[in-house]
Amino acid sequence: MSKPAARGPSNANSKDGEICPVCKSSRYLNKHMKFLINPECYHKMCESCVDRIFSHGPAPCPIAGCKRTLRKVKFREQRFEDLKVEREVDIRRRVAAVFDKTEDDFETLRDYNDYLETVEEITWNLILKIDVEATEKKLRQYEAAQKAERNIQAQTYQPDPSLPSDTAQVVLKKSAAQRRAQGNPTGNTPDPASGAGNGQQTEPGLRFKGLKKYVPPPPEAPFDPFDGWAIEPQYYVTQNDYDVEWLTRAINDPLHIGGGYDMRDFYSWALCDAFSGFGVFVEDGKDVEMADVF
Amino acid sequence: MKLTEDDIYRRSTQYLHWSFTAAQLAAQRLKTNIQAAERVKAAVARQRAARALKTETPNASGSENASQNGANTPLPPPDREVDCLTMAEEKRLVDNFCEKALELGDFLKLPIEVTATGVQFMRRFYLLNSPMTYEPNQISRTAIFIASKAEGHHLPVAHYAASLPKTKPEDILAPEYLITQALRFHYEVRHPFRGLKGGHLEMMAMAAGKATLPPNIPQDRDPRALQQAMLELPRRPGGPASAMSEKELEKRITEAYGFASHILKNAALLTDAYFLYTPSHIWLSAHLLADEPLTLLYLSTKCPPSNPMHAKLLTTLRSCAALLSSHHSFHPASQTEEEKAARDKKDQVELKALMKKLRLCRDPDKTNLVKLNQAQKRDAVENGELEENKRKKRKIAREQYEKEADDFFGPSLSKKENENAS
Ligand SMILES: [Zn+2]
Ligand SMILES: [Zn+2]
Repeated sequence: MSKPAARGPSNANSKDGEICPVCKSSRYLNKHMKFLINPECYHKMCESCVDRIFSHGPAPCPIAGCKRTLRKVKFREQRFEDLKVEREVDIRRRVAAVFDKTEDDFETLRDYNDYLETVEEITWNLILKIDVEATEKKLRQYEAAQKAERNIQAQTYQPDPSLPSDTAQVVLKKSAAQRRAQGNPTGNTPDPASGAGNGQQTEPGLRFKGLKKYVPPPPEAPFDPFDGWAIEPQYYVTQNDYDVEWLTRAINDPLHIGGGYDMRDFYSWALCDAFSGFGVFVEDGKDVEMADVF
Repeated sequence: MKLTEDDIYRRSTQYLHWSFTAAQLAAQRLKTNIQAAERVKAAVARQRAARALKTETPNASGSENASQNGANTPLPPPDREVDCLTMAEEKRLVDNFCEKALELGDFLKLPIEVTATGVQFMRRFYLLNSPMTYEPNQISRTAIFIASKAEGHHLPVAHYAASLPKTKPEDILAPEYLITQALRFHYEVRHPFRGLKGGHLEMMAMAAGKATLPPNIPQDRDPRALQQAMLELPRRPGGPASAMSEKELEKRITEAYGFASHILKNAALLTDAYFLYTPSHIWLSAHLLADEPLTLLYLSTKCPPSNPMHAKLLTTLRSCAALLSSHHSFHPASQTEEEKAARDKKDQVELKALMKKLRLCRDPDKTNLVKLNQAQKRDAVENGELEENKRKKRKIAREQYEKEADDFFGPSLSKKENENAS
C-alpha cells in the first residue's frame, strides 16, 4: 500500500510513549491521554490506569518484572524527556536537601571542597546504583544526626522566667514536640525504611572535617512597641474607677462608650498631669537637671 | 528604661525653653525693653529727619506740612525726646491686654484651654517683643487664633474675624508668622487644669476611704486612717479639729476645687506663674489658697515631711501662692467691696495713662502689620500694581526659560493641546 498509510501505525508503535504499556490504549484513540511516572521506579503509564490501580491505596507496579509498591500521590507528569535525567534530578534534589551546608559553615575552603566531593560521591553512587544500601544508610544517618543536633540546640534555650506565661507555654509546647520528634527514630518507628538506623542513632555516621558547630538562631524576643520605654509614676497610683459626681455623665455617655473611650485613660492622663513637674523646681535652674535627663 | 512624671515635664518645650528663674525673666524683659526703646527712638529720629528734609525743599511753611504728614500717624510733637515705656509699664500693659484677651475668649465662648493657650502665647511673645513695637490688640487676636489651632478647636478665620469688631481675615493672618516665630514654633502649653482634676479625683477617693497610695512613699496610714484624718481636718490653718461627715468633707473638697479652678482660669494665666513654676506647682498652690489644711494633708501623702524635698516644695508652693494671690482678680475674704472697688478704679486710671503713653511711643515702622506681611512675600504689591518694568523683565525671563526647556525636552503636551484648541 501507500507509504504514509503504512508508516502511521508503525510510527505509533516505535514511540512507546504513545501507547500505555498497561492498558495498551494509544493516543491515537484518546487525544487527551496523559502519561504519569512514579519516582519509585520511573515506569510510565496513563492517567486512567493510575486512577484504576492506585485509587484504593498502595499497590505493586503493574509493569512486568517490577514489584515496587507505588502510591497514587507520588505520581506526576514527566518533566524531562529523558527519564534518566528525570531520575538524576530527583536524586540530586533529595541529596541536596540533606547536605545543605554552604561554604560559610566550614573553616576553610579546602574543607568545603572535601565536603562537596563526598556529597558528589554519594549522589553518583545513588545515580549509578553502586552500593545503594550503604549509601542510603549513610544519607539517612546523616539526616537524622542533623535533625537531632538542631533540635538539641533549640532545646537548650531556656525561656526567661520573667516572660509572660503565654510565651512560656508556647515554648514548652514546642519543646515537647521536639522531644517527640527526637524520640521517633530511636523508639518504635512506624517507617520500616529507617529500621536500619535503629540503635545506631548514637553512631556518628558521616563526619566532615572543619565543619563549624551549628549555632541555632537566637530566639525572637516578644515585640515591644515602646522599645523598652515605660512611664512609671512615682507620686500616684491610678485606680480603675473614681466615684465623682461630675464624671458620671461622661462615664455613662453612649458617645464615649460607643467610641471605645476608656475612662482609665483620662484618669491616668489627669494624674500624670497633676504630678508632671511635681519634683521639678524652675528656680533651681535647668542645667544641672538637664545633665541627667539627656 | 523608666520615665517618671517629672521626666516627662523635663522634656517639654515649656520647661526647656519657657521656664525661667525670676532673675532670668527680669533680665529678658529688660533686654527686650531696651532694644525696643532704641528702635523706636531711631525710627522716630529717622522720620523726623525725612520730614525736615521735605519741609525744607518745597520752601513752604514748615508747620503746615508737618501737620499734614503727621495726620495719618499720631506722632509726638517734634523736637522732644520720645518718652518710651519702662519695663514695668510694659509688663503692666501686657498683663492688661492678656486680661482683655481672656474677656474676648469668654465673649466668643471659646473653651478655656484655647483662651489660656492664647494668653500664654501672648505672654511668651511679649517676652521677646515690646508692646511699643507690636500693638497688643493685634497680637492678642492672632494669638488666640493660633491657640485655637494648637488646641484642636476648629475656628475658621473668616468666621473668627467676623465675630470681632472691624476685623478682616487679613488682619488676623498678618502677624501669624511673626508670632509663630517668636514662639519658636513651640505650640504646646502645659496647663494646670487637668492636673487639678486629677488631684481632685484622688482627694475624693481619699475622702471615701478608697484611695490607693503610692507604694514607694513610706506611709503608715491605711486608706481608712487617711479618711479619718481628713474628716478631722481643721477648717482653717491652726484652727481646732473638726468632725465632719463624709458628705460635708466631699462638699468641702468640691468647693476647694471650684475656688482653685477660678484662680487657675484667671490669676494663674495673668501672672508670670507659667514662666516661674511647673503646672503641678501652680494647681497645688491654687489649691493651697483654696483650702490650706486639706492641701497640706494631701501633700503629706505624696511627699511626707520626712522627705528632704518637703520643705523646698512648701516654700515653692507658698511663693507661687503669693504670686497668684497678688493678682487683682483674687479677692481674699478679708477685702471689702469698697476696698476692691477703690483698687480697681486706681488701676483703671493708671492704665488709661499708660495707654496714652503707649500711643505716643509706638514704633512707626511696625504700625501696619498687614502691609509688612505683604512686603515680606514675593511680588510685594505696591498700590495694587507691580512696577511696570519689573513685570516686563519677569515676563521675558519666564519666556526665555520656557523656550530653553522646550528646546531640550520638547514642548509640553498640554501646551500643544491648548494651542490646537485655540
Ligand atoms: Zn493505561
Ligand atoms: Zn515499575
